[in-house]
Amino acid sequence: MTAPRGLGPARAAVFFLVLALLPELDLGHWLLNMLVFTLMFAVMSSAWNLLGGFAGYPSLGHVAFFGIGAYAVVLWFQHHAIHSGYEPFLILPLVGVGTAIVGLPIAAIAMRTRADVFAIVTITLVFVAQTLAFNLRGVTGGAQGASIAAAPFPSATFERPFYDVLLVLLAVAMGLTWAGMRSKVGLSLAAVRADEDKAAGVGVRVQAVKLLAFCVSVGLTAMVGGIWAYYQGFIYPQFAVDPLISVAIVLMTFLGGRATLWGPVIGAFILEMAQQYLAYSLGGSQFYLIAYALVFLVVMLLMPRGILPTIEDRLRRRRRRRLVDDSAPASPLTPDYVKGDSR
Amino acid sequence: MAQRGDAVSVRNRSRFMQAVAAGVASAVLVAGCASGGTGTGTGSQLVIGASVSLTGDFSDSGKAVQRGYQLWADTVNASGGILGRKVQLDLVDDASSPTQVVTNYQNLINKDRVDLTFGPFSTLLTIPASQVAKRYGYAFLAPAGGGPKMFEQNLDNYFFVQPAPTIQSGDVFAAYVLSLPAGQRPTTAAYAELDDPFSSPIAENIRQKLEAAGIRTVYKQVYPSETMDLSPVMGAVAAQHPDLVVGGTQNEDAYTQVKSLVQLKFSPKFLFQSNGANSPLEFPDKVGAANTEGIMAPADWFPGSTAAGSAEFTAAYLKKYGGSAQSVDDSSAEAYAVGQLISAVAARTNKVDNATVISALHSGSWPTLLGNLSWSANGAPNGEFNLVQWQKGKLLPVYPSSVAQAPAEAPKPNWAG
Amino acid sequence: MHALIQGVILGVLTAGVYALMASGQTLIFGIMKIVNMAQGALVILGAYLSYQLFTSFGIDPLLAIPITTVIMFMVGVAVQLAFLRPLHSEDRSQLSVLVTFAVALLLEGIMSVVWSTTDRGINTRYANSSWTVFGYQITLVRLWAFLLSLLALALLHLLLNRTRFGRAVRASVQNPESARLLGVESERVAAIGFGLGAATAAAAGSMYGLLYPFNPGSHYDLISRLLSIVVLGGLGSIGGAVAGALIISVSSAVVASTISPSWSQMTFFIVLLLVLLVRPRGLFGAAARGAI
Repeated sequence: MTAPRGLGPARAAVFFLVLALLPELDLGHWLLNMLVFTLMFAVMSSAWNLLGGFAGYPSLGHVAFFGIGAYAVVLWFQHHAIHSGYEPFLILPLVGVGTAIVGLPIAAIAMRTRADVFAIVTITLVFVAQTLAFNLRGVTGGAQGASIAAAPFPSATFERPFYDVLLVLLAVAMGLTWAGMRSKVGLSLAAVRADEDKAAGVGVRVQAVKLLAFCVSVGLTAMVGGIWAYYQGFIYPQFAVDPLISVAIVLMTFLGGRATLWGPVIGAFILEMAQQYLAYSLGGSQFYLIAYALVFLVVMLLMPRGILPTIEDRLRRRRRRRLVDDSAPASPLTPDYVKGDSR
Repeated sequence: MAQRGDAVSVRNRSRFMQAVAAGVASAVLVAGCASGGTGTGTGSQLVIGASVSLTGDFSDSGKAVQRGYQLWADTVNASGGILGRKVQLDLVDDASSPTQVVTNYQNLINKDRVDLTFGPFSTLLTIPASQVAKRYGYAFLAPAGGGPKMFEQNLDNYFFVQPAPTIQSGDVFAAYVLSLPAGQRPTTAAYAELDDPFSSPIAENIRQKLEAAGIRTVYKQVYPSETMDLSPVMGAVAAQHPDLVVGGTQNEDAYTQVKSLVQLKFSPKFLFQSNGANSPLEFPDKVGAANTEGIMAPADWFPGSTAAGSAEFTAAYLKKYGGSAQSVDDSSAEAYAVGQLISAVAARTNKVDNATVISALHSGSWPTLLGNLSWSANGAPNGEFNLVQWQKGKLLPVYPSSVAQAPAEAPKPNWAG
Repeated sequence: MHALIQGVILGVLTAGVYALMASGQTLIFGIMKIVNMAQGALVILGAYLSYQLFTSFGIDPLLAIPITTVIMFMVGVAVQLAFLRPLHSEDRSQLSVLVTFAVALLLEGIMSVVWSTTDRGINTRYANSSWTVFGYQITLVRLWAFLLSLLALALLHLLLNRTRFGRAVRASVQNPESARLLGVESERVAAIGFGLGAATAAAAGSMYGLLYPFNPGSHYDLISRLLSIVVLGGLGSIGGAVAGALIISVSSAVVASTISPSWSQMTFFIVLLLVLLVRPRGLFGAAARGAI
């Protein structure tokens, strides 16, 4: 069930227009700050969705590439100067492509495994990345951390450039997802997700499409890492490669709905804003981690397919009931998850 | 039929999406407009905001910091407040996360509009937080944030509230060793250092000073922070039989180092640990009370200190939180000192806004329970730590002589087992 | 040379505890085909329980093992019933990793509330005793931990191979559908299996608490090690878990003793990667599951 043409892009246009205009409303730095982090997670969740949602390979290791992007930007600018403040943004595409290339051999090895073993291998990747960040002291500064010159933006509009760049990145991520869904690549990924061996059997270019999904996914994630590093000004190995970031991305995508266009974005907005706000207002109490874990569990158990597919399911059931009532022949049942609708 | 159904659902879905977008936008708008803030400048209350780590890795020290801030606020309010204004603390938890700490100070400064800010615990958090404070012109006094990268930022609004930058905290031990007459001085030394922004640099500082004076380094090893098993490292240390062992440590590995040495049945004549050994309750509990005898560590505050306000602080602490003088965490003392500085600035200049605090603290010497503090332009304090030693279950200052309450015990007695 | 052999001794002694933890995890995988990311947290919970029994009642942690294993068995069964049984099989493998990770976070949160985040250690009177045998140091607690782990593994082996329940478990591991056809109640086996995995974590936890300081966040380090061990040994194989624990423990300790502790962390990852390249199903893993 696909939306008629023109509606999807119109929705997207409204969404991005609203977000682009928000900073003009003089909302207060604290809110812009929260939105910056939310947009970071929205991009990362959308990127993860390409691999974990559409390809069916749930990676728990994306934060390793986040860290690679962060260190890449920081280390680059230890040898190059920042004048206008926009240079770090300009090298982002380089960072993304570079990480995608680095990710190619890793993907080739890691994707020889499936499902749970793949998840474990990706977790291992995270710990390897963290250990390397700690041990390669000459390069990364090790436990002492690494710094990048503070962005020379005026304090009144400090967050704006980061916000705008992230908005562009989100548009890119969603654009790639949308284009992918409508193309042969998307169809191939759906086949891989459903049954990889059969897909290979009927001639789908399984290996190529898997690697493509992996590399695009980690490239985008690395770019967010670079922006984060610039925003923080100072990075340490245990924070640049923090397993909880991987977990958050996965949770957001699951919450919103895997293999959907808007699912990860919705999930990111809901969870990140709630989490930052709750941590600020409730953080003092010990129960923060417990509450977080419980939310996680509730989402997994009650809405395992995520918000969007669950709602879509309900709508379809209502529609089908109406169809049946009208005595029309029953339509063939097609699980939306496999089809990957444009929502 | 099918088409009508389709159209309905399509409309439902697109309406849903627009509703979501509108909902997000309006929630954001409402939240933004509702950020009234608590008033600025000369309101009847002095609101001080701080992000402390109440959960997560730094939570033990974070909670000690919270106690110190709270104690100071209570003490000051009991005698009328600051310049007639009651102090109100706005404390939030950063869960030991540098992302959250940035958000917290953004919120404290721009949403709650606090008058002043106090620092968080740990250099790792203080560095990004201080940048936020700098952007909006707030003074930033921090009880923890003495790592070298902190001062490289060259922030004029930053003041590290301890006697000296953290990596110099071991220098007092080197000074003590070099003050010994030639016959009692150690000739060989081994260094076991934790790979983190402080522990290794502290030990390295000591090593450079000792090597320059001719004390030979027979072994040095840096180990990563998740190392659970230090027996390989300490085994290698023991195999060299050094006179002196320096541990660049945090808490966990300090305990493990000592336990390893006890199991290896090797007791050096001098043992110094940059952290962990100065925890009055934890250390004897973890390594065995009798094994602590003779171990040395640095301290800025210690029970029984006679520095300005120390007795008052100790009394108030015991009254509010119980325990004994030995159980007071020096993070609480450092936090209390932060407050003392604000009181002192107010008393000397009759003003307590951020600009005044920044310019006042950059000149002269300011009395606190950590001693008299003064700073250079980048916030690095110009003083020296004290050397404390475990003697019969108590931590006593032994060097320099101006603060010593007992002679230093050397050599360190053998392990009790 | 001395350092090398000392490293081997240390590695072998430490391997026992890790083998015990890993065997529980691989057993859970074998029965339910899910990766239990909460195994590390269960070990730490076991450590805290031993700690509490020691500080409140003076019970030696090694003697407390029977008590903690029973308690943790019930905790394990409860977790399985509450969080894992409701998962629908289509998404089970993906979701189970996340659900068990969430359980790990939940346990961490609860432990932080109950015991705070201060480092704890169980300091019995013999905690620092050691012998020197032919110039090599052997710590008493490590030796005890090793022997007890062997005992626990032997008991587990007996349970799986000599009892009816054990046969049911092995049948479920080999072929769940046939097992069900033959009358094995797979739901019950799953619940008890998870309980068993938690029980091994409890036993290992008591020993862990004696050997190392711990706090609620310690489970992250543990789970990364455990995952490497079970994947190396082959998911579902207890013999593989033991072999994997030995290989990884010894190589880490040897690298730490002879080269540098900084790289010993990497050793088990490198070992893991090598094995995955050459033999993706692990040393003793079944060919079908999750690998080529």
